[in-house]
Amino acid sequence: MIRLENVTKSYSPDVVALRDASFDVPKGEFVFLVGPSGSGKSTMLRLLNRQERPEQGSVWVAGRNIIDMPSNRVPHLRRNIGNIFQDYKLLPNKTVFENVAFAQEVIGKPKHVIRKQVPAVLELVGLEDKHDRFPDQLSGGEQQRVSIARAFVNRPLIMLADEPTGNLDPGTGEGLMRLLDRINQTGTTVLMATHDQRIVNAMRKRVVQLERGVIVRDQARGVYD
Amino acid sequence: MWSRITYTLRETWASFKRNVTLTAAAIITSAVSLLIFGATMLMREGFDNLLVTWEDDVEMIVYVNAGTTDEQRSVIDDALASNEGVTVRSFRYCDAECSLGEAEQVLAGRPDVLAQLNLDNIPSQYKVIPTEATDVNTLRDLQADLRGRENVRSVDLAEDQLDLIGKLKNFFGLYTLLLSISLLVAAVLLIWNTIRTAMFARRREIEVMKAVGATDWFIRVPFMLEGLVQGMIGGLGACGALWFINERWTAGVRDFPLNSGFVSMVVTDGFLYQRMGILMGIGALVGAIGSGIAVSRFLDV
Repeated sequence: MIRLENVTKSYSPDVVALRDASFDVPKGEFVFLVGPSGSGKSTMLRLLNRQERPEQGSVWVAGRNIIDMPSNRVPHLRRNIGNIFQDYKLLPNKTVFENVAFAQEVIGKPKHVIRKQVPAVLELVGLEDKHDRFPDQLSGGEQQRVSIARAFVNRPLIMLADEPTGNLDPGTGEGLMRLLDRINQTGTTVLMATHDQRIVNAMRKRVVQLERGVIVRDQARGVYD
Repeated sequence: MWSRITYTLRETWASFKRNVTLTAAAIITSAVSLLIFGATMLMREGFDNLLVTWEDDVEMIVYVNAGTTDEQRSVIDDALASNEGVTVRSFRYCDAECSLGEAEQVLAGRPDVLAQLNLDNIPSQYKVIPTEATDVNTLRDLQADLRGRENVRSVDLAEDQLDLIGKLKNFFGLYTLLLSISLLVAAVLLIWNTIRTAMFARRREIEVMKAVGATDWFIRVPFMLEGLVQGMIGGLGACGALWFINERWTAGVRDFPLNSGFVSMVVTDGFLYQRMGILMGIGALVGAIGSGIAVSRFLDV
């Protein structure tokens, strides 16, 4: 589903974010990307989204090398990728329902599809009774669930999560991980960058560790360090 | 498709409401600049109407009494022909029908006077183009000679009338054009700024749109439409104001004396509506340029 081949990405000659990184993620796998700040985790996620392009190597997503993909195809690539952010990136002037529906609306999904699929995904994340609330009326955990619902509503093949539990207390973070695990069970590949040692150790999923842009460990059913 | 259209319109309207003051400033600036531009066009047309009798290097007009027969007229013909190649380069005769057509332009502001003119009472005229070497004094001699001839009603020299009109036309034409162009540039910059502010206000929304796979055009169109609509509303305002000013001027000019020349300075035959169309087009163009630059420069999708 995801393949990086000898990828090198630098922002300046002195700042090399990834150095000759290679790894494979088969369909339906759950992978943690771990490592200290500045180790290249977020850069890797940005490369998979085609927000960045590497100087060397190739990046394959769903069977396509996305490095040479024409710009007008990039939106279609992104429709197969759900993004979860540490700061949720919810739109404050829209309700929970509208925030989730927004992801369908902007890619031209018809209204009747939105009316059917949004309540279903809100039920999945446990927010069906809060569909008319605004983000500032929700707790941090609930806001992140809305963010997950928005990322998953178009049934992407891949979910990329960048520190999704970074702003949450441990209990809420665990609940969120159960939700991501359920989504992973549906066949969605999940790649999650995190610093959360407790969660990584508890989940015992594959762990890819980065240090100064280099993959130093790739361990099945791994722990944080 | 329908959901995309409603989304675009909704977002454009929401952006309008979010940026009321800047939007109003952009619209007012484009309206004022277009109004000045439109007024310049009308003024130039008015001056052209005033000068219509002196088109094509005509420097002297010999008015012939109405009802003069071709035979009686031959005396004037002969006098002009005898000067051909010396003082006169060429001359042409504008009969009653031709003179009536000209009067319709010159007296457009005075339909009451125009209504009294007909083929039987309007003087016909000779339009005389002098040779390049002819000086004003020689022309004045010819004028004096022709004035004495039978059936000659009057002889006018361009020298006496054109100088001031030409200067006024060039002065107003140039400076109002420069002013309106400067204001149009200001309108483009204001619209550009409004769209940039709108994009800044919606930066999170844009980020989310990009992340979930909205196409470049889907993100751009509401902003471009916003700029276009601002320009067009400005154009519409300018058209309304121009129409009102023209109505007031056309009505007011009837009170001016016939020989003041102002009666010629009104526009007719759908000229105003054609120019209003042009103003709408320029308004849309100003909006499209302003928003187009902003979108291509600040919306890196």
